[in-house]
Amino acid sequence: MLAYIARRVLATIPVMLIVAFFVFSLLYLAPGDPAAVIAGDQATPQDVERIRASLGLDRPFVVRFTEWLWRIVQGDLGVSIFTNLPVSHMIAQRIEPTTSLMLITIVLAICIAVPMGVVAAWKAGSWIDRAVMAFAVFGFSVPVFVTGYVLAYIFALQLDWLPVQGYTPLSEGFWPFLENLILPAIALGSIYIALIARITRATMLEVLAQDYIRTAKAKGLGSRGILFLHALKNAAVPISTVIGIGIALLIGGAVVTESVFAIPGLGRLTVDAILRRDYPVIQGVVLLFSFVYVLVNLAIDLLYTVFDPRIRY
Amino acid sequence: MRRRQLLGAAAGGLAASGFGGTVSAPAVAQGAAARTLRIVPQANLTSLDPVWTTATITRTHSYLVYDTILSVDEKFEVKPQAADGWQIEDDGKTYVFTLREGQKFHNGEPVRAQDCVASIKRWWARDGFGQEIAKRLDTIEAIDDRRFRIKLQRPFTHLLAAIAKPNASPCFIMPESVAATDPNTQITSWVGSGPYRFMRDEWVPGSRAVYMRNDAYVPRQEEVSWTAGGKRANAERMEWHIITDPATAGNALMNGEVDFIELPLHDLLPLFRRNRQVVVENRDTIGTIGMMRLNHLHPPFDNPEIRQALLLAVNQEDFLRAVVGDESSMYKTSYSYWSLGGPMHTEAGSEALQVRSIEKAKEALAKAGYSGQKIVQLHASDFPTIAAQSQVTADLMRRLGVNHEFVATDWGTVVQRRASREPVDRGGWNIFHTTWAGPDWLDPPAAVGMRAVGTGPGGWFGWPSSEKMEALRAEWFEAPNLAEQQRLARELQIEAFKVVPHVPLGHFLSPSAWRRDVTGVIKSPVVLFYNMGKGGG
Repeated sequence: MLAYIARRVLATIPVMLIVAFFVFSLLYLAPGDPAAVIAGDQATPQDVERIRASLGLDRPFVVRFTEWLWRIVQGDLGVSIFTNLPVSHMIAQRIEPTTSLMLITIVLAICIAVPMGVVAAWKAGSWIDRAVMAFAVFGFSVPVFVTGYVLAYIFALQLDWLPVQGYTPLSEGFWPFLENLILPAIALGSIYIALIARITRATMLEVLAQDYIRTAKAKGLGSRGILFLHALKNAAVPISTVIGIGIALLIGGAVVTESVFAIPGLGRLTVDAILRRDYPVIQGVVLLFSFVYVLVNLAIDLLYTVFDPRIRY
Repeated sequence: MRRRQLLGAAAGGLAASGFGGTVSAPAVAQGAAARTLRIVPQANLTSLDPVWTTATITRTHSYLVYDTILSVDEKFEVKPQAADGWQIEDDGKTYVFTLREGQKFHNGEPVRAQDCVASIKRWWARDGFGQEIAKRLDTIEAIDDRRFRIKLQRPFTHLLAAIAKPNASPCFIMPESVAATDPNTQITSWVGSGPYRFMRDEWVPGSRAVYMRNDAYVPRQEEVSWTAGGKRANAERMEWHIITDPATAGNALMNGEVDFIELPLHDLLPLFRRNRQVVVENRDTIGTIGMMRLNHLHPPFDNPEIRQALLLAVNQEDFLRAVVGDESSMYKTSYSYWSLGGPMHTEAGSEALQVRSIEKAKEALAKAGYSGQKIVQLHASDFPTIAAQSQVTADLMRRLGVNHEFVATDWGTVVQRRASREPVDRGGWNIFHTTWAGPDWLDPPAAVGMRAVGTGPGGWFGWPSSEKMEALRAEWFEAPNLAEQQRLARELQIEAFKVVPHVPLGHFLSPSAWRRDVTGVIKSPVVLFYNMGKGGG
């Protein structure tokens, strides 16, 4: 097992190198010029040229890529063109809000979606099943930003239960931390809940049709025991796969959610950097997201062995 | 106590009773909130160097952190700010400035004449108006710690106006060691002598910038008027919250989570006006100016008659209402290149812009020999005001029946592509839109878009070329008095309406919105956040 983990971790290196090359190339080819953005509207073309030269943006692709890669290998993500701050510092400032939002969303989604899916499968064809499926369709169909605005209108503006926007670090108190993340987590989690609930229902329906479930019923086991001890454990592999895949969905959704709720996370950092063409920041964040995604996939693969002892690496 | 605070206290109580976690202290938080002013500025603060970038948000930041030597009041008169006064000697060739006593930088060091000299030198290395002083310079030197002298080769009546100018880039005072930084490199120390200190450790670009009152700041005693007069740090702490989504910012204001929005979306203003806790007012006394910029290097706008034909079709009201809606008090047509209300404003030569006839424009286009050349229009869809005006142009092009290509992209791409001098089939362009603050078009030194040097140094995107316009501009700098300056500005405009560097699209007002307990909002065409406070504090 340890050798497998080591192999998988080492395998991330070529993956990251390929990602690095693609990210750098795409940004090089994409239109836009940070020097023009920096200079402002009053600047003349000569001013823009001077800034471009001072930033080293007029040098050849190979030179810039090699320098950047060498710095990455040394653990240096570079310095933001605009703020003059190290990219690692900017990422460190933003990682807590995004991680908190994603963790709360995942926990919320699993806690809601898995029981929903299980019950829907158990009561297949009933009004409960139809209600769960209707909710799933609704969750899939409504964009995150619409859900966000509606939640903010009801729970912040009308009921005044929760704040409209912002983020308070955990170090400043648990409730201030939580109250800022409840609405964003629900908004972001709605699609995720729908996805997991549907997969759980479909997988559970398959499992519940298996002979060993019928045997368990024949032996007189209670519904709860059959559902959660026998059926759910066997349905867990595909569910955990979807949860893993959904992390990518969450990263994409976090960009929108962080904008709607003004959360100073990595999603907004990425969008701001793209709009300004702050190349070092875009490259740093995309590399980080890729690395996280590779690690999440590794964690899911390892989780399979917990749910299904027949799987061995 | 608000419902949410009650819930928070209840949750805090639960936590304190054994559910773990740190408990917030609502009473303390309320006290801190009363002393803290929370502002949503118009943009994200990314660069902190007002010489390195002309970005408006950096200028707003700089007016909090730095002081200026001179300033301008609402009558367009130059006033002393950090300077106590000045003397003009040697028939207008020598200026001696004396600094006020007792001024200190945020690190406790005194503000000296040497700091001012270094700051002026760094500023004029980049600023167009500053370069006009540098061209005429003999020497600039500190006489002692409180006095410095600028000696010119020939008189320059605009010297004071240049140093006092409020539009990009104003001449801010930095410590000599900081001002020694290459003007093409960003400064790395943000020590100023202004009414607020910048809290670098709390800066999260894209999210928050924090300023604390500079207790050592000694304000002037005069009433504040534009950038002149007494700057007071009435709020102990000022937080800038960068909220990119306008609806979220609006909700935050109505919910009392922020106190002031500099540039709310026009669509949200009716909602704010219905809220008793929110005030909506014009803070900007001149307004924002729209511009339809034309590329003079390539067909069809390399033909002056085609550019003039376009003037006939433009109805400024269409462009202004696209931004602000039907509320006529929020916009003003202005058939002038110069800012409305400014000393140079005139409508001379603007007859073509007041015709507003598609049919006449079509006739003029045909007469000018337009033969179906493609017109590529760059459209920045991520800037609501610019995008609205750009869409009106797209509609105008369709109504004119020209061969039009609408390139919808983001502002970051527009600012890159507009620098291209290539023809349209090789990535060039014919039209793009932008907007300007009122002070940017007060007079010829401010108006970079009026330069007509083609692709030569100082020329702006679109690269219009006119020897006459440049000669009039040069004459303006030498004009001995206001009347002569106004005459030359009028002549310059008449010529500009023949050359048509761009189509001016009038002024629209962009009100700010703030909570009713906010005090001290300064009405000025540049954004100034000092003097603002909350309630009595």
